[in-house]
Amino acid sequence: MMAMENDRVKADVVEVQEFPQIAQKYRVMGVPKTVINETTQFIGAVPEETFIDKVLEAIGKAEAAPDSEDAAPSKSI
Amino acid sequence: MPIISPQDRQTLEERFRKELKRKITLKLFTSQLAGQLFVPGRECATCPQTQQILEELTSLSPMLELETVDFYSQGQAARESGVERIPAIVVTRGEDASVKYYGMPSGYEFVTIIESAIKLSKPRTSLSADTRKKLQLVDQDVHIQVFVTPT
Repeated sequence: MMAMENDRVKADVVEVQEFPQIAQKYRVMGVPKTVINETTQFIGAVPEETFIDKVLEAIGKAEAAPDSEDAAPSKSI
Repeated sequence: MPIISPQDRQTLEERFRKELKRKITLKLFTSQLAGQLFVPGRECATCPQTQQILEELTSLSPMLELETVDFYSQGQAARESGVERIPAIVVTRGEDASVKYYGMPSGYEFVTIIESAIKLSKPRTSLSADTRKKLQLVDQDVHIQVFVTPT
């Protein structure tokens, strides 16, 4: 939805079983995993507020939030 | 044999009739040779099935349009859409907004495509006022990639 509200935001969904080399590149150990601008990443579904804060963090417009690799229950693949 | 069951067809037809507010295009980037000719390095095992799913889906509403692009012979179109691999589905309402999906949309990921189309057709998203305000701070390119598995 963020990509729908701001043209600077591009959103891709990648099905990792079909593209294992991409999964390997981004070290996807659990899904859903989100990578923003190759720099900020987290595993699991997060609330909208956390998500937008991560987006701002990725472009250096917010204070770095604590690393949330285990933000929410996620499943292993 | 159809992939979408008659019951799901009916449910989707009704939802699209009620909720699709404007025309949405599903651009499928595929290999036209997939399933017919084996070209090393250009295999796309799920391309034919992805095309079938999207043909069935777009037949359920006059507001949904399917555009098929051959990734190899129409490379320029793929580059313009930023498509790097196939199958890729770009759900778009025109120039200003789109969501890209890489892989065959099976299981829950099929729902992602449907929800993206419906959300894109609406004039506003359901994001909170606070999120919208923060989004206005985004003045440089942001690339969000979400990695999923079919469920």
